Amino acid sequence: MKPQMYLGRYWQLYGLVALPIVYFIVFKYGPMYGVQIAFKDFNLFQGIHGSEWIGFEAFGEVFRNQEFFKTLRNTLMLNFLDLIVSFPAPLVLAIMLYELKSGWFRKFSQTVLYVPHFISWVIIGGIVYQVFGTQSGMINNVLTGLGLREIPFLTEKGNWLATYLATGVWQSAGWGTILYLAALTGINRELFEAAEVDGAGRFKRIWHITLPGLKTTIVTLLIINLGHIITIGFERPYVIGNLAVREYSDVLSTFVYRVGLESGQYTLATVVGLFQAVVGLVFVLGANFISKKLTDESIL
Amino acid sequence: MERRRNKRWHGKYRMLLMAAVIGLTTVLAACSGTSKGGSEGGGAGSGGAPQGRVTLKVEVFDRGNAPSGMKINDNYLTRYVQENFGDPNNINVEFVPIPRSEEIQKLNVLMASANDVPDIIFTYDTGTYNRYASQGGLMDVTELLDEYGPNLKAFLGEDTLKYGQIDGKQFAIPGRRLVLGKYASYIRQDWLDKLGMSAPQTTDELYAALKAFKERDPGDTGGKVIPLGMSVAPAQFEPLLWSFIEPLTEEQRYTLTQKLGSSDHPVLLPGFKEGLRFMNKLYNEGLISKDFALDKDKKQLWQDVQNGLVGAYSEDAGELYFEYNGTYKNLLTNVPGSSLTPIDPYTDSEGKHPKPGYAPNAMYIMIPKSSERAAEAIKYLDWMASGDHLFFMQNGVEGENYELEDGIPVLKADAPQDVKDRLYNYGDMAIIVNGKYMGETEKNNEAYIRQTPKEFHDVMRVSVNISNSDKIDPVVLPRPIEAEARYGSALADKYDELIVMTTMVAPDKFDATYESIMKEYMAAGGQAILDERTKLYEESQ
Amino acid sequence: MSERTANRIFDTSNVILIAIAVLLCVAPFLHIIAISLSSSRAIMSGEVTLLPVQLTYEAYRRVFTDQAMLQSLGFTIFLTVLTTVLCMAMTVAAAYPLSKTQLKGRRLLMFVIIVTMFFSGGMIPEYILIRDLNLLNTVWALVLPGLVSPFYLIIMISFLKGIPESLEEAAEIDGSTHIGTLFRITLPLSMPVIATLSLFYAVGRWNGFQDTLLYITKPELYPLQLKLYQIINNSQASDLMRMEGAGMYEVLPEGLKAASVIFATVPILIVYPWLQRYFVNGVMIGAVKG
Repeated sequence: MKPQMYLGRYWQLYGLVALPIVYFIVFKYGPMYGVQIAFKDFNLFQGIHGSEWIGFEAFGEVFRNQEFFKTLRNTLMLNFLDLIVSFPAPLVLAIMLYELKSGWFRKFSQTVLYVPHFISWVIIGGIVYQVFGTQSGMINNVLTGLGLREIPFLTEKGNWLATYLATGVWQSAGWGTILYLAALTGINRELFEAAEVDGAGRFKRIWHITLPGLKTTIVTLLIINLGHIITIGFERPYVIGNLAVREYSDVLSTFVYRVGLESGQYTLATVVGLFQAVVGLVFVLGANFISKKLTDESIL
Repeated sequence: MERRRNKRWHGKYRMLLMAAVIGLTTVLAACSGTSKGGSEGGGAGSGGAPQGRVTLKVEVFDRGNAPSGMKINDNYLTRYVQENFGDPNNINVEFVPIPRSEEIQKLNVLMASANDVPDIIFTYDTGTYNRYASQGGLMDVTELLDEYGPNLKAFLGEDTLKYGQIDGKQFAIPGRRLVLGKYASYIRQDWLDKLGMSAPQTTDELYAALKAFKERDPGDTGGKVIPLGMSVAPAQFEPLLWSFIEPLTEEQRYTLTQKLGSSDHPVLLPGFKEGLRFMNKLYNEGLISKDFALDKDKKQLWQDVQNGLVGAYSEDAGELYFEYNGTYKNLLTNVPGSSLTPIDPYTDSEGKHPKPGYAPNAMYIMIPKSSERAAEAIKYLDWMASGDHLFFMQNGVEGENYELEDGIPVLKADAPQDVKDRLYNYGDMAIIVNGKYMGETEKNNEAYIRQTPKEFHDVMRVSVNISNSDKIDPVVLPRPIEAEARYGSALADKYDELIVMTTMVAPDKFDATYESIMKEYMAAGGQAILDERTKLYEESQ
Repeated sequence: MSERTANRIFDTSNVILIAIAVLLCVAPFLHIIAISLSSSRAIMSGEVTLLPVQLTYEAYRRVFTDQAMLQSLGFTIFLTVLTTVLCMAMTVAAAYPLSKTQLKGRRLLMFVIIVTMFFSGGMIPEYILIRDLNLLNTVWALVLPGLVSPFYLIIMISFLKGIPESLEEAAEIDGSTHIGTLFRITLPLSMPVIATLSLFYAVGRWNGFQDTLLYITKPELYPLQLKLYQIINNSQASDLMRMEGAGMYEVLPEGLKAASVIFATVPILIVYPWLQRYFVNGVMIGAVKG
C-alpha cells in the first residue's frame, strides 16, 4: 500500500515503540563505544580516546593464554550440562504441579519451591559445604555413621560436577516453573476435557496437549539459552567451586575477574567480553534460524 | 458483557495508576535533584559557600555497619574533623563512602572519570597503587610534603615513606603499621598433658605430637580428631612452608622472591618443594582435614577448634582471643578443661622459626593528579599527625570511652552503646596509621594486646612475641616490577592451587603434580617476574 | 493395569516427589531462620541445623531498631514498585507493535534490540553516561538503565503473537484504534504474562545491587540487598582485608547476618502468592495450533 496510507494506519504502533527504542539507543548504544577498549592499551587516566591503539594485539595475547582455553572449555561444558539438566527441570516440575489434584497443595508448593532462587549464592555456598563436605559434611557424617566410606562430593572433579549441577537445579527449577505455569493457563481447558472423553490417559494428554501448548515458550527459552551458552555468571562457579577442582570450576567469568578486573587489565576483560558477545550473537541467530526451519517458531 | 465492562474499567484504572505514579515520582525526582548539586558536605551546612571556603573530598571505607543514628559520612568522628580541622582552615571536609568489598573496582571507575574522584584516596593493594603511579594518575607530593607536612613526615619516618616512593619521588603516603608480627601457632595443652608430652619446639616434635593426637585421641573425639588445623588462608600454612626455606644469599632473596599481590611468596625459593612434600605427608597420613581446600574463610576451622576437634594449628597471632571472634572463649565453654598454648614449633635448618611479618606500611594514601586540593589534603594528614588529634580519633574521651591503665587507654566495656559507637570506624578514619598509636613500640604492642579481653592478655602477649621472633621482612625494591602488577593476581591463585593440589594428591603422584603446576605457573608470568627481578638486581650492582 | 490404577500411581508418586522437592527447598531457609534465632556460640560451634539453639531475639531486635535498615526497606519497596510499573509499561509499549508481523522494519528493530543482549560498553562508559546525564545518586540511575529487558520483551512478544488475530480484527472492524485494541482486548488477555513479567522485574530489582555499588554513594539510597551484601561480605576474608590485621574491624555476628537475610527476603517472597490470582485460565494465550 502507499506510504501515506501505511503510516496513517500504523503510526500509533511506531509511536508506542519509539520511547523504548530511544531507551535502547541512549542507555545501550550510548556506552557502546567502550568496546574500543579491546583494541587499545587502556590507560585509566588517558581515557578511551587517549589510550594507544593496539589493534588485535590483546586478542592475540588472550588466545595464546592456556588458561583462557581451559576456562572457555569449562564454560561451554558447564553450560551445556546445565542445559541438559537444568533446562528440562522447570518444565517437568511445572507439568507435575499442573497435574496436582489438590489446589491448596499446588499453590503451597509453588510458593515454597521458588524460595531457593532468593538465597544469594554466597549463602548457598556456605550451606553446600556444610552439607557436602568430606570430613564434616552432613551427608558424609550419615554415611560414615552407617559404616560406609565417605564420598568427596566437592573435592573430586567428577563428583563436583554433579554437585554443581544439582545445586543449579535446586536453585532455579522452582523459579523456572512460574513462566511455564503462566503459559499453561493459556491452554484451552476444553481440549483436556475432549481428550478425557476420548479416553486418552495421563501421559497421552501431556504429550499431545500440554507439551504442544508450551511449544512456543520452550522454543523461545531454548533459543535464548543457546545464545548464552558462552556466557556464564560469576557467583555460582566462584562460590561452589574451590581450589581442588579448578580444572573444571574455572570459567570465563572468574578468569576475567582474576586476570582482568582485579589487575585493572580492562583491555583483557573487554577482549573476552567482546569475544563472548560475538559468539553469543552468532549462536542465537543460528539457533533462531534452525528453529524457524524446524518448528516454525522464531524470535526474530 | 458484564465481564467486558469490568475489564475495560480495569484498563482505565491501570492508566490512571500509571499516570499517578509517574507524576509522583517526577515530583520526587525533582526534589532529590535540587539537593544533589556538588558539595553537600558531611553534615555541616554548606549552602552558599562563604568566600574562600573550599571542599576537600576524602575517601572512607563503607562496611555497611554504621550504628543506628549515624551515617558513614556524618558521625561523631566526621564532625570532630570538621570542627577541629575543617572550620579553622576554612575547608569543608566531605567524606565519600566506598564499599569496602568493591573498593578497587569502584576506585578504578572513579579514577577513570576524573572529576568525581576524591582528593584523598587509598588502598591496601600494592598492585593498584603501582598501576596508578605507572599510568600517571598520581600526584608527586614530594615537595608538598616538605612544605605542608612536617609533622606527617616525622610521624611516618623514612622507613615507612620509602614504600610510597618510585625512584625517589613520593607518589603515595604510606600509613604506618604498628603491629608487624603476623603469625603464631597454638596447641591443645590439655591433650599434651594427658599424653605426658611437652609443648613441641621443633617441627619433628610437632609431628610426633600430631601423630600421637591421631593415634591416641586424647580428646575423645571418637575418631573425628583433626590433629593439624588447616584452611586455604595463608595464616594456616605460611609458618610451615617458610620454615623449609633454606638459608638465602641476598641475591637469591632479591631475585627469587615473588611479590604477588601485596605479600612476598616463597614459590621459587629453595626448599619450598620440600615444604609442600611435608604438607602432602601430613594430609595423606590423615593429620589434616580432608575439607581444608574448601575452607576459604576459616569458618570451618574455627568451628572445629571450638568443638574441640583440632589439636594444633597456626593462625594470625591472637585472632582467636578477640571479642568479635570468640573462638577461644567458645572452646573454653564447649569443652571444659580445655586450653590452647601459644607455641612456635616450625624450625628451619638453623633452628630458627622464620615466619613472614607485615611490611611496615599500611594503606597507600594517594592524591590523584587531577586534584586541585593537594595542599589541603596534605594539611589534613599533617593535622592528623599532630597534637592529640590521632589519639582522640582512636580513643575518644577519657572517662567516657576509655580509662588509662599504666598510661595505656583501655576501652570501657561498660560504656553506653552510643558512646562506644562514636569510634565504630576509627580504623577507617585514622588512615595514617594501622593499629593503636601510643608513641613507643612497647606501648604500641601493649595497646594492641589490651584490645583483647582481660583474661587473655597474658597469652596474647606470648602470641605477639612469637609473631615477632625471626620475623621475615619483605624485600623492598626501588621500583615496582611490571610483571608483578600484571600477573600478580592470577599467579597468587595459581600458588594456592599448587599448595592444594600437591597436598591432596597421593604421595607417588606428588612430583608429577608439582612439575606440571609449576610449569603452568612459570608460563603464566612467574618466569617474567623472575627475569625482571634478576635484571633489576644486576642493575643495582 | 487399569486406567484408574495407572492414574492413581501417577497421582501418588507426583505428590510424593513434589513433597520431597518442597522439603529440599524449604530446609535451607529454615536453617537460616534457625540461625537468626540462635546464640552466637551455638552458631559458631555448628550446632544449629533446622531449629534454633539457645533461642534469642537479639538479632531481630537489632535489625528492627536499625534506622538505616528500616529506611532502606521503605526505599527498596518504593524503588521496586516504581521500576516494575515503568519497566512493564515500556515492555508492553515495545512488545505490542513488535508482535505485529505486518509492521515494516520490525525485524530490524528486533535485531537492534537483540544485539544489546550481548554487546555492552562496559562499566566505565556506562558510569560516564550516568554521570553526564546528571543521574548519579538519584533513583533514576537505578531505574533507567534496565528499563526494558530484551529477554522479557521477547517472551512478551511471543505471547502476544499467540493471541488469535480474529479477536483483534473484530475490534478493528468496530472502529478501534491500535492503542484502543491494546487496552481493550490485548492487555486483559495478557494478564498472566504481565503478572509474570512484573514479578520478574520486581524480583530482579529487589535482588539487584551491582549497579548501586557503582552509582550511589548516598546511604539514603542504599537498597536492602546492598546493605545485606555489605553485611555478609565484610566478613568474607579476602587477602586485602587480611592486610588490615587481626582485630582491626568489627565482624558482625552470624545471627545478625541471618536475621538481615530474612528481613531482606521475606517481603519479596510474599509477592508471588499475592499475584497468583492473576494466573487464572485466561482465554487463548499461546493457543494450540491444530
